[in-house]
This record gives sequence, structure tokens and C-alpha cells, in this order.
Amino acid sequence: MNLLRLAWRNIQRNRRRSRVTVLIASVGAASILISSGFALYTYNALRDAAARESGHLTAAHREYFQRDEETPLQWGLDDHAALAARLKQDPQVTRVLPRLAFSGLVSNGEKSMIFMGHGVDIGGETAARGQFLKLLEGSLPADTASSAVDSPQVLLGKDLARSLGAKPGSGLTLLGTTTAGSLNAIDVQVAGLVSTGVPDVDKRLVFSDLAAAQRLLATDKVSTLAVFLNDSDLTAPLLETLRRDDPAHAWQPWWDQAFYYTAVRGLYNRIFGLLGIIIGALVFFSVTNTLAMAVVERTREIGTLRALGALPKEIVAQFVAEGALIGGLGAAIGMAVAAAASATLQIAGLQMPPPPGRSDGYPLLVNISPTLYVFTVVAIGLLCATAAWIVSRKAAAKPIVEALGHV
Amino acid sequence: MSSAAPTRPPVIELRRVSKHYRLGEADVPALQGIDLSLEAGGFVAIKGPSGSGKSTLLNICGLLDGIDAGSLHLDGEDVADVDEIARSLIRRQRIGFVFQSYNLVPVMSVGENVEYPLLLAETPAAERRARVAETLAQVGLADLAERRPDQLSGGQRQRVAIARALVKSPRLVIADEPTANLDTATATQVVDLMRQLGASHGASFLIATHDERMASHCDRVLTLIDGVMQ
Repeated sequence: MNLLRLAWRNIQRNRRRSRVTVLIASVGAASILISSGFALYTYNALRDAAARESGHLTAAHREYFQRDEETPLQWGLDDHAALAARLKQDPQVTRVLPRLAFSGLVSNGEKSMIFMGHGVDIGGETAARGQFLKLLEGSLPADTASSAVDSPQVLLGKDLARSLGAKPGSGLTLLGTTTAGSLNAIDVQVAGLVSTGVPDVDKRLVFSDLAAAQRLLATDKVSTLAVFLNDSDLTAPLLETLRRDDPAHAWQPWWDQAFYYTAVRGLYNRIFGLLGIIIGALVFFSVTNTLAMAVVERTREIGTLRALGALPKEIVAQFVAEGALIGGLGAAIGMAVAAAASATLQIAGLQMPPPPGRSDGYPLLVNISPTLYVFTVVAIGLLCATAAWIVSRKAAAKPIVEALGHV
Repeated sequence: MSSAAPTRPPVIELRRVSKHYRLGEADVPALQGIDLSLEAGGFVAIKGPSGSGKSTLLNICGLLDGIDAGSLHLDGEDVADVDEIARSLIRRQRIGFVFQSYNLVPVMSVGENVEYPLLLAETPAAERRARVAETLAQVGLADLAERRPDQLSGGQRQRVAIARALVKSPRLVIADEPTANLDTATATQVVDLMRQLGASHGASFLIATHDERMASHCDRVLTLIDGVMQ
């Protein structure tokens, strides 16, 4: 006759009441697991997206992240080719991609608009980041160096293209300032229209290959090097090594640039943290109520066991076992429900609506995290055991004569 | 050098014991100057009208309640001022209880109810099983060990309670109105059983009763009226 077997029998004394309590614990556990699983999925997706976008690490001129540039590429990298070659020797590094940020005016001959340009190795970016842009029309630009076309090709944000009345094949002029401070212009051809999912960005976006951007700015420099690793978890140790071994450059991890990720994580942590506290309180009060009723009903029995020589702590242990069993059962059912919900969502392919400031939704998926599941089971079990401890310790300490006389 | 064997102290001995209860502002005397001595193997009844203090006296003898004045010795050991934990440990080793309403634990089987005091006393499993089987056989319930209390008659339940009280071979058994809920024939059987098993287990019985049938089976009958021993 062990504690748990006795606890199981005591739980079955009032089956309806116990079932309702287990149900509440299971709904609580499932709610926590599903909401936390969704938050985890979102964190992971945003983290991966952020790391894909910026690269796991960004290498730049020592002043690049500290001071504004007075002329284009004042804090650009002129030794980028040597630096990239050196970084590529590290087996953890999969790719090193040069990036050049520039701005100016884009004109169709009748109308000019401000643009924010990105000169990149489009083939390399696609290889490293997959389909990092949503290509709405046309195709990716041909490499300027090997292109048979006369003008360099660019990608335009869909809203900028609409403002300029541009479509694939249209000819435009990019006007910018060179690194020496003089004005320069190049003719380009629109290869395709893209969307980042952020309307404000799509109003200004121009993607060109690196050579075209360098030609506009009349430079060999690049703004930064994006360093991609074969494992995100290697970012922190490699960052530490590079900062120690190469202080001549500035090194920034992806999370320092992932403002959206940080903001969403902070928001979700607050929302789901509060939700968890509310659910925990509901489970706690439900179990407290159930066990308080059981304690009152069993006061005489408690008196009998105390008379036979049971210590108060042994009586409390019995109720704590019952509380833990209720919590454990509820958590187990909640886990099964949450796992089923996660699997169903994988198949259902539901989409969340676009977040504020975005034009595209994202998949509604819930991660199954073993750590989260173990933590939730332990937390619900502890919560229920604590509720049992609170309600039973007073009854266990009641004078025996009084307990025996309880009607 | 004396040839006389050393005298064994009484199982329970009370000297000038008083007990009061607070009832609102009033101080109500429950027991006043009680002297009582119960020798080993004794089978003593305490009778008296309701409210005479019988249950209070039994609670004190069973270490369920404390005293306000006087002395209380169990097997010669002063137990008047021991703390609640020590009382619990004394009860689990040396005192058995039989209650008027049986007070069996409904979620335990008959065998488990009888086994419970041995579990508290941390008796090894093999010995527990043997003693439970033996004691249930002594009360004639060997075949009902797996039954739950609610599947038994009143007489059978009281026999389970007697087995539970005696299974650890206590020095003292406190029985509070053990036959009050039983018919005459069953009550007689229960009294005979207590007497017989008390002798075989070496336990002394202190029984509170209204029941003249019960009193007639006891070695000694003490009368308590208004908290005073007559």
C-alpha cells in the first residue's frame, strides 16, 4: 500500500469532482504548451530569418557601427576581399557575402523617387538565404560583369515600381553620390519586381548586383561583409574569437541587428508570461478548492490516522501525493492534447494574419519542445502539490480530539 | 538481598488529574482529581452518564489530549508533558484504539486497515503480512481481507477495528463505546473477542461504556459522574 496507490483511491472517492479538476489542469497544461509552443516557433522562425537576413555575423570598418558617414562609404571596407578570404578559411564559415548600402534618386525620365539601394552578390545571397525576396514579376538580375545586356539590371520594390510605372524591362536612371562627393548616374534595366512584406521598405527598395552599385559610387569598397555559419549556435563563440583576434574591424552578431525579433520576443514573453500566470492561478485555485473539500470531508479520518500514530507530515504527504497525482494526470492529458494540436496544425497549413507593418502572414505552427513539456509537467505537478500542502497542513495539525469529533 | 520479583509499573497511572475546557468565557471542569491505575492485562470499564467525562478520560489515557494538572504515567514513564510528536510515536507503538463508529479508512481494504499501524511502526513487510493474516484469523475475518469496509456488517467492521488495534500488540487499548452501535448478540461477541485477544496479545483495555452488558464482562467497573470518580 504505497502513497500513490492510496492517493489514486482517494482521488476516486469523488470521481466527478476529481475529473473536473483533472480537466482544468489538463486544459491549463495544454494552453500553456500550445501558447508557449507557438511563441517558440515564432522566436525560432524570426531568429532564423534575422540570421539569414543579416548573416550570423557582420564584419565592418571599426567605426561603421559607431559613427554616421559624412560621405558614402566613409566607413566602408576597402580590404574586404582579403578579409573575406581569411574568414573563409574557418571551417565553421559557409559563406562571406559583401554588401553595399547606398541611396539616391531613381528616375524614369519624368518622375524621380528616393531609393534605398542594396548592392549584393545576388547569386551568393540566394544560395545563402534561399528565396530571400518574394519575386512578384520578372526574374533575378543578370551579373553585370558577365551580362550581355548593355545596362546593369536591378530589382525594384513593388510599391516603388508602381510609383514609377516601371515593370520588368523598363529602363531607369539611378542618381547617387560617389565616395568622392560628386554626383554620378547610371542607367539600369528593371529585371523584376519584389516584395519584402514590409510596405514602407517596398516603397524605396532597389536591389542591384554589387558591381553596379560600386560603379554608381565609383568605389571598390563595400559597406559590410555578411558572414554565414553552418550552425547558429556557433555565433557567440566565433564572435568572441574574432573580436579578440581582429580588433581592427567591428564585429556584430545577428541579434544586435534583429530589432523586430527582439521586439516580438519581448512582447510575446510578456503576453504569454501573463497568460501562464493566469492559467497557473486558475489551476491552483481549482485544485485548492477540490482538496479543501476533500480535507473537510476527511477530517474525522485524519483524526483517526493521527490517533493511530500518523504524524502531521505523513497526513500532509498523503494529500500532497493526491495533488501531485491530479496535476500529473492533468499535465499528461494536456501534453497529449498539445502534441495533437501541434501535429494537426502542421497538416492544416493555417496562416496567421500579417503582423503590424507587414503585408504577408506567416504559418500558424506550434513547436513541440521536450524541455517545455517537462517544465510544464513539473510546474503543474508542483502547483497542485503546493495547493494540497497549503490546504492539508492546517487540518493535519488540528487537535485530534476535535478532528475525531468532526461531523 | 530481597527475593521478591520487581513489581511492574501499571500500564497507565493517573494521579490527581484535572482537565478543564473553555466554553466561551466559562471554565468548565471535565475531570477533577482523577486517580486511576490500570494493571497489565486489565480489562476495565468506565461508565457514567453522557457528559460525565468518560471520553475526556479516555482521550487523556490514549495521549490524544493533555492534562491541566496531576500526573500521567505510561508503563512508569511520565508522559504528561511530552510534545505532540512524541505522543504520536508512543501511540503508534504502544496504544491501540477502538472507536464507537469503527473509523475504518474507506479506501483501504480490510487487510490494509489492519496493516496500517504496522506500516507506521515500520514493521518489515514479511512480518506485517504474517501478523495481519494472524490477527484477521483471530477475529474471524481471514476470508474478508480484500473487502472494503463498506462491504461489511457493523459487527464485522468492529472486529476489523479490534484487529487494527491489536495487530501491533499494544500495551493499552482504548475503546470508546465499542458496542454502542451493535445489537446484543454482536455486542457480546465483540466484548468476548476483545477480552480473549487482549489476553493473547498482552494488552490492557480501558473501555468507556453506557452498556451494562459490557460492564458485566469487565474485571473492574469505575463510575464517573461530573468529572469525579465515584
